Amino acid sequence: MADLPEVPDPPAIPLGQRLFDNVFLWLAAGVAVMLIVYTGWGLWEVLTLPQATLP
Amino acid sequence: MADIHTGLDSPRGIWWKPAHRNEKLWVTIAFAWCMVLFAMMPLWHWKGGQNPSGIRRRVEPAAFYQRTQEFITQYRVGEDHGIPIVAPPPGSDIYLAAMTYQWTPILKLQQGAEYTLHLSALDVNHGFNLNPLNVNFQVVPGYDYGLRVTPTEAGDFRIICNEFCGIGHHTMVGRVIVVNEKGEEVTRAGGQP
Amino acid sequence: MSATVAFRTCPFTGRKIDPVADRLTQANAVLAVVSLLIGAVAAVLLVLTRWQAVHLLNAEWFYRILGVHGMNMLIFFIIFFEMAVLHFTSTALLNARNVAPKLSWASFGLMVLGAGMVEWLMWTGKADVLFTSYVPLKAHPLFYLGVILFAVGALLVTAIFFANLHVAKRERRYEGSLPLVVFGAATAAIIAVITLLHGAAIYIPTFLWSLGLMNVDAQVYRLIWWGLGHSSQQINVAAMVAIWYMLGALTVGAIVLNEKISRMAFVLYILFISMASAHHLLVDPGMGPSWKVVNTSYFMYMAVLASMVHGFTVPAGMELGQRLRGFTRGMFDWLRRAPWGDPGFSGLVFSVVLFGFIGGITGVTIGTEQINIIVHNTLRVPGHFHATVVAGTAMAFMAVTYYLIPLVFRKRVAFWGMARIQPYVFSIGMTIFTMTMTFAGSFGVPRRHWDISFSQAPFSVQFSPAVDLLLALMAIGGLLAATGAFMFIAIAVVSVFFGQPLGELTPGVAVAGVPQGLTHPPVHAADVDRRAEELQATRSIWGPAPGTMALVFVFLGAFVVYFFVNWKVLSFVWKIG
Repeated sequence: MADLPEVPDPPAIPLGQRLFDNVFLWLAAGVAVMLIVYTGWGLWEVLTLPQATLP
Repeated sequence: MADIHTGLDSPRGIWWKPAHRNEKLWVTIAFAWCMVLFAMMPLWHWKGGQNPSGIRRRVEPAAFYQRTQEFITQYRVGEDHGIPIVAPPPGSDIYLAAMTYQWTPILKLQQGAEYTLHLSALDVNHGFNLNPLNVNFQVVPGYDYGLRVTPTEAGDFRIICNEFCGIGHHTMVGRVIVVNEKGEEVTRAGGQP
Repeated sequence: MSATVAFRTCPFTGRKIDPVADRLTQANAVLAVVSLLIGAVAAVLLVLTRWQAVHLLNAEWFYRILGVHGMNMLIFFIIFFEMAVLHFTSTALLNARNVAPKLSWASFGLMVLGAGMVEWLMWTGKADVLFTSYVPLKAHPLFYLGVILFAVGALLVTAIFFANLHVAKRERRYEGSLPLVVFGAATAAIIAVITLLHGAAIYIPTFLWSLGLMNVDAQVYRLIWWGLGHSSQQINVAAMVAIWYMLGALTVGAIVLNEKISRMAFVLYILFISMASAHHLLVDPGMGPSWKVVNTSYFMYMAVLASMVHGFTVPAGMELGQRLRGFTRGMFDWLRRAPWGDPGFSGLVFSVVLFGFIGGITGVTIGTEQINIIVHNTLRVPGHFHATVVAGTAMAFMAVTYYLIPLVFRKRVAFWGMARIQPYVFSIGMTIFTMTMTFAGSFGVPRRHWDISFSQAPFSVQFSPAVDLLLALMAIGGLLAATGAFMFIAIAVVSVFFGQPLGELTPGVAVAGVPQGLTHPPVHAADVDRRAEELQATRSIWGPAPGTMALVFVFLGAFVVYFFVNWKVLSFVWKIG
């Protein structure tokens, strides 16, 4: 019933820190980047090679 | 640098903070070096003399074998240890086939002339190593690697297979002869006729 | 609802330890050491064969044992150890529990079964295809199945790792963010997922091909396989760096300079390090220059930036850990007066220095698209990766074991006198081995080759006489390193199975068999934050960690020189385009 002293809210955690704390976000990102830049692009390169003309 | 703690501790509160001046300096210098490392590759494509680009195609091993046989018949000038020696004209498409356990044919090339060297394997992976210069390419069955090459010096070179291809892998050695501008064969350290 | 777990309390750190996680860590560590033993025996046989004057094994057995060595060292030893790290970091370091004990043991069983199958088939000559098993070389179908079972088991453990982390957060087992060491372990786990997905993608079709049920293209095989083969070594890098932070903390109270910077470096690993699988495909016909340049550069060398960041923050953290505890004289007193007799510390330093200077510098250089032309399939390749994986990662794993034996197995380290010198024996041997091997490779000496005298070939080949000397020195370095490995194995096996229990320890009293970080924990003073502010306020251009600053510039200088010398050497060969 007595007035309690004002306790300031704790400072908000910066977005960067919250993003870094999300391990599953980075799991998804890591797998996605690899599958696109290395595997996907690499397969596309190999599979679209033209047939040799053997000049 | 308040809230001193080790890598084993859970950091509390806000740790998303700017780095100390010296740490930032190192990261900046490291980043600049990474940009130099990266720039060298496109730069060498533009200005440098050695790039693994080539003219790359798919090919049936049987078709490559047949083309190589035609090439051998057309330019044959001799034989060594049962492998035909061929002397193709400068500027032409030349063929080298890798198979367990030999390289065929023996190419007789001219110093300073450009050729398109087609590399392919007839059975399993092989490794093209030009000795003693030390030039290396992967030779893959089903693929034609057309590298535009210019021999820069005359000599009697060896091709060592450096990709494991079976029990006879270490017997797989080929030969490349480069004649000088006068057309003479030259013996050099690292290769003997 | 959290399960009832009979946590024990760690007498050193006060953390709550789940006994199930304890036993899983131990079991995986034991299998790691068994694999290391097989791989080390193979190593001795191999160096004595490549030493042409000795030429111990015949051709058939050389190629067979080469496959055994690669599989045991690069896959079984390293991955079993990493499973131990995943179990440990997701539980003990968080006061948390293992959320799936039965599945954890089933996964372990799968891995042991798979490894056993592969081992049996290799030794009985049914899989003479080397560790890379490049199609169309063909092994017995059960070889591929064994690898698949091993990989599935490992993938399940990474899933359990993530589940442990998720539940630990939900059950509030720790406050704030994950410790940096655990974040590093999570990085390793993420790269493990990337690795094992590629493993499944290539071994399942190849298994079917070995049964005659489908075709597998040789170039596609290489592309996907290296998504497993090289990435598996990047798991090692992340795990090793996490262990560097852990060992630094345990041995000298190393601090984290800036969580944001260190974690950003791990994030760069997560996003970009795996693409460097392209290193092995730079002179392959199937892919073009743009793909090669983007991938081999870890996306413009961002993952190399990450390594250079850790290469600074790990030693700087150690230097500050020392300076904050009073070792403030001059530039290097903190290093001179560090606990060099603690094998956890000496092993840590060797790992950092050899990984960086020999492994890192050679790796980035030979992984350049064009420089690879003078490198591919020569001894420069194993010269590089023995510096990273063996002198770097394996040394770090050995060093942390000296702490895991008392902390997890709760035993004293056996043969303590020998343990204190083991990192020196191993690292000096590996330095000689990797440098001579790399140098021999620059003469064009092929890797994976039984006979460079070419006694059975139609045309003669003469390497420079220096090569014979280099290969002999390589064997001597290799034998010294193998001695160091056998020392470690003996210490580990005897400690674990026959070792003295820890018993009562008085803080501040040195005990043989217990590293100084546990008897004399490097705790910081109560006013450490004030001391840190003072150090940070220094006007010196070298900053608060001057010793480290000097060392990283020496490293950069060596890097610049080695890199540009290689471009010069490349420029001398034939024009190729």
